[in-house]
Amino acid sequence: MTIAIAPSTRSVPLAWRNLLSNKRRLARAVAGIGFAVLLMLVQLGFKQGFFDASLGVVRQLDGAIIVMHATKYRFGSEDPFPRADLAKAPNVAGVASVTPLYASWLHFFWKSPADGKSYLVQVFAFDPDDPPFLLPAVRADSARLKAPDAVIVDRLARPFLGMASGARATELNGHPVQIVGSFALGPDFMSDGTVMMSAASYARLLTDNRASAASLPIEFGVIKLRPGSDVGAVERGLRAALPAGVRILSKRQLEEFETDFQANLSSAGPIFWMGALVGFIVGMLISYQVIYTDLADQLPQYATLKGMGYNTFYLLRVVFAQAALSAAAAYVPAWLLCLVVYRVIGDVALLPLHMTAMQTLISFALTLGMCLLSAAFAIRRVVALDPAEVF
Amino acid sequence: MPFEVACRVLAHQKGRTALAIGGVFVAILLIFIELGFFLAVPQGGMLIYDHMRFDLLLVSKDYVFMAQSWQFPQRALAVALKVPGVAQATPVYLGDAKWQGAAGGPRIDISIIGFDPGSRAFAAAGIESRSAVLARADTILVDGSTRPIFGPLTVGRKITLDGRPMTIGGRYRLGTGFLGLGVALVDPENFFRIFPRRPSGQVNFGLVTLRPGADPDKVAAALRAVLPTDTQVLTRAGLTRQEVAYWTTKTGTGIIFGSGLVVAFIVGIMILYQTLATQVARQLPQFAMLKAIGYRNRALNAIVLAEAVLIMLLAFLPALGAAFALYIVIRRETLLPATLSPAELGAVFATGLAMAAASALFSLGRLRRAHPADIF
Repeated sequence: MTIAIAPSTRSVPLAWRNLLSNKRRLARAVAGIGFAVLLMLVQLGFKQGFFDASLGVVRQLDGAIIVMHATKYRFGSEDPFPRADLAKAPNVAGVASVTPLYASWLHFFWKSPADGKSYLVQVFAFDPDDPPFLLPAVRADSARLKAPDAVIVDRLARPFLGMASGARATELNGHPVQIVGSFALGPDFMSDGTVMMSAASYARLLTDNRASAASLPIEFGVIKLRPGSDVGAVERGLRAALPAGVRILSKRQLEEFETDFQANLSSAGPIFWMGALVGFIVGMLISYQVIYTDLADQLPQYATLKGMGYNTFYLLRVVFAQAALSAAAAYVPAWLLCLVVYRVIGDVALLPLHMTAMQTLISFALTLGMCLLSAAFAIRRVVALDPAEVF
Repeated sequence: MPFEVACRVLAHQKGRTALAIGGVFVAILLIFIELGFFLAVPQGGMLIYDHMRFDLLLVSKDYVFMAQSWQFPQRALAVALKVPGVAQATPVYLGDAKWQGAAGGPRIDISIIGFDPGSRAFAAAGIESRSAVLARADTILVDGSTRPIFGPLTVGRKITLDGRPMTIGGRYRLGTGFLGLGVALVDPENFFRIFPRRPSGQVNFGLVTLRPGADPDKVAAALRAVLPTDTQVLTRAGLTRQEVAYWTTKTGTGIIFGSGLVVAFIVGIMILYQTLATQVARQLPQFAMLKAIGYRNRALNAIVLAEAVLIMLLAFLPALGAAFALYIVIRRETLLPATLSPAELGAVFATGLAMAAASALFSLGRLRRAHPADIF
């Protein structure tokens, strides 16, 4: 009997029809589960955005290998080394060019055209003929940096710095400077804005400095390779040629170096993972409510099916399939809404919030997990169902 | 009447009620957590000020936040001392140095606070009892919450600050706030040994204490009248306003947790609404029966509202307990000073009530449509 009937209705998408049978209930379920999904996605996005923000500049460095002081513990800490340490680098096989990069995070105060107050900014300085950044606007505008005291600024800097205000002039460390262009980088959790200039202007604007740019220590050596050369081999060559006081990292290693620092010292990772976990629990509670109510409503129907001879396994499959379908139905609108939320919060908080394949995958797996898990909790009713009791 | 009925409905199916309370518990807990983070950020900015003795704070007109405080001429303190009501005006210096172990290793940024131990600038036991230690040449007190990357903070360890050999003379525990990864205290003499190029007539903070009975606002006004425009005078309240405004509106951190708070509120309403809508749906025949025997919609609404409030109340206390337990974890893991004042606690409670009312309102639609004839 069981065998005779079950295959004939296998083609009926029962879970699908259950889901669509009551549109109001579907809307409520989608809204409830969707909000939990949104909560998880936003938290995952924050975590990613935090790390992306701290890697923003590193990723824009135009070089395969970066040289820095061996005692540096993070990208954004001032710890320069003598320029002479790079002297032998151009002779290493495979090296195409070596560009010195000056940087400061503690010594440049930018007078905001927005409110007239002075704020600490991140500063990079280099030879305008050879900008060590990939940012197209920096490459396009760098020739203009040859004029004395000319600077280009980050138009995505925090608004109170007034870098996007269109002002043409302001002061840096009390000296007048001309703003000759802008690029799009964005702040991170350490610096609110970035200013770039020529090495000559840097030496002039640095407070209490009388040394020329050529004799000032540098923060990074940005090294480009000849086409076809092997990064590992050039790294080894550089290690042999340069003094022991410098650290030689490929760009990828520098990104890892910075990510490790952020992961070990900042609490962003655990904070946002905790947020995602809360989203998961909230989602489980909501989806349990939804599934439980649904089961309660459909109990007579399930009992009828059972009475007709369908086995418990078939009913379980229907319930789980419906849970998975509600997960998917809630996930899609939540994912779309999240794009908007990322856009809005990203613009307000100036945080690089982007939907990545990884975030999509993790959050969908969590959504599916929470719906199936709560289905498993709610399903006991169906298993214990006795057709005779229902009617 | 409504409360009695609501109580009976909730007591009738204890499992369902427990589930509903669980959901609301999570929603309220979420609000507590996000609020904790949101408030911890400005509290982190205030952390060190909270442990300094002053009634009025003198800072540069360019002051942004503690770590970007700028400097002002020290002679302002002498001027301040002459103002009636001022008891003491203490200079405090702040500088960034590079910390390195004696055997080399990374050179890590650390904030150095210079102050005269005799001035009793810090209200913290581990600092006040160590005036003699601070007076020793090339000796520092280091905050115990300075990060592990600095190595062991054992007393007697030799380290260098900006290349100058120093000795750890003791540890205190205050927290580093937003001064960075580590903080150390020195007396002014040692401070200028670490930073020899720094002009000596410039200070970062002036801690002004008042004579008993003096009114801070009046003395602040008197100070503003005599001090040059490069120096600003902040009362405790003014400083708090300034820091809260900076951390919640100008930094990414405040905005992130602020948006988290909004999301938590919406999620809370969603959960409560789900729960109530389910309850209403389940009790629909009974509600219809009440309607049939003459109860008005208003009475039924009151029952649902009472249910919502009861669920919220039952969920609130355990959520509060769990939140305080979580705050302890947050304080330990993130070194942010997560705490909650009675006013903030009251605000969460009021928010919970608002959530309950809002979700009850949403789920009433179904009730209104409950038609006695349709049910049976």
